[in-house]
Amino acid sequence: MSKHSALNTFGRSGNPAFTRNFDDTGAVPQSERMTLDGAVNKTAILLSLCFGGAFIGWNVPALAMPGLIIGTILAFVTIFRNPAKAGTTAPFYAGFEGIALGGITVFAEAQYPGIGIQAIGLTFGILASLLFCYKSGIIKPTENFRLMIFSATMGIALLYLVSFIMSFFGSGIGFIHSNGMFGIGFSLFVVGIAALNLVLDFDFIEEGAEQGLPKYMEWYGAFSLMVTLVWLYIEILRLLMKLRSR
Amino acid sequence: MNAIFFSILAIFSLFVFMNLGKIRASKKQMDRDDRIKWGNRRRKSFFKNRSTIIEGKAEEVKDDAKK
Repeated sequence: MSKHSALNTFGRSGNPAFTRNFDDTGAVPQSERMTLDGAVNKTAILLSLCFGGAFIGWNVPALAMPGLIIGTILAFVTIFRNPAKAGTTAPFYAGFEGIALGGITVFAEAQYPGIGIQAIGLTFGILASLLFCYKSGIIKPTENFRLMIFSATMGIALLYLVSFIMSFFGSGIGFIHSNGMFGIGFSLFVVGIAALNLVLDFDFIEEGAEQGLPKYMEWYGAFSLMVTLVWLYIEILRLLMKLRSR
Repeated sequence: MNAIFFSILAIFSLFVFMNLGKIRASKKQMDRDDRIKWGNRRRKSFFKNRSTIIEGKAEEVKDDAKK
């Protein structure tokens, strides 16, 4: 038995997106198993679609909000309804999120010129450096690491949800959006947690390929990576905007 | 001008990701006892359902015969 009571109660992971989708691999033929190359290729396809969407959003910023809403719905459908259909939903998710990110970047650029290129550069810089750290074994994700990152991610999600609900009543949690030291510190923390989620995604893909999961999990792994990258980009953009507004 | 910068950065990032991503993780990363076991529960049930009974005729094994 594990010494962690949370692990004993809820199983190895509290994340429904990951625990429900590791099928028994014994019956999967070799040609229909997930591979590392396949997952990387599919991530590249999703990234290309996201860039394509961003080009549309950049030129028609009014599409940002519909893109964000549709993208979010597609993300929830992929995670909770039918992960096996990730091959169908994930490309649409990437396209719509791309449109949203393009529109958001236009608004940010209008206020602080040059901020978009800084945010994209930082996002991919973090992706490349963490990928290197993971592949070389410098960062070693463990069960404790996963529990820590999962708890922090859920905490942030809850805080954002409460803030969102409070905004309907003309109130809010001030420090989340402020450009003071506390607000910048909070944004730095969120960027750190979003970045460390990338390490979990890399490990999920690597382990999935090693275990020979069904082929559709390539799309699912690529989708998880895209969700984290989109979140990381938005948080970096928010952090840079806070820094520039001081 | 901005669009050109964005395009170059996007293509460069994709190129780096495609090359770095396809390299398998090092042995130091993969051969660890404390790795995250993403599908541990499922795997356990998979092995649990397999029969451990070996079919065939039973034979008595004497310790002396081994030596």
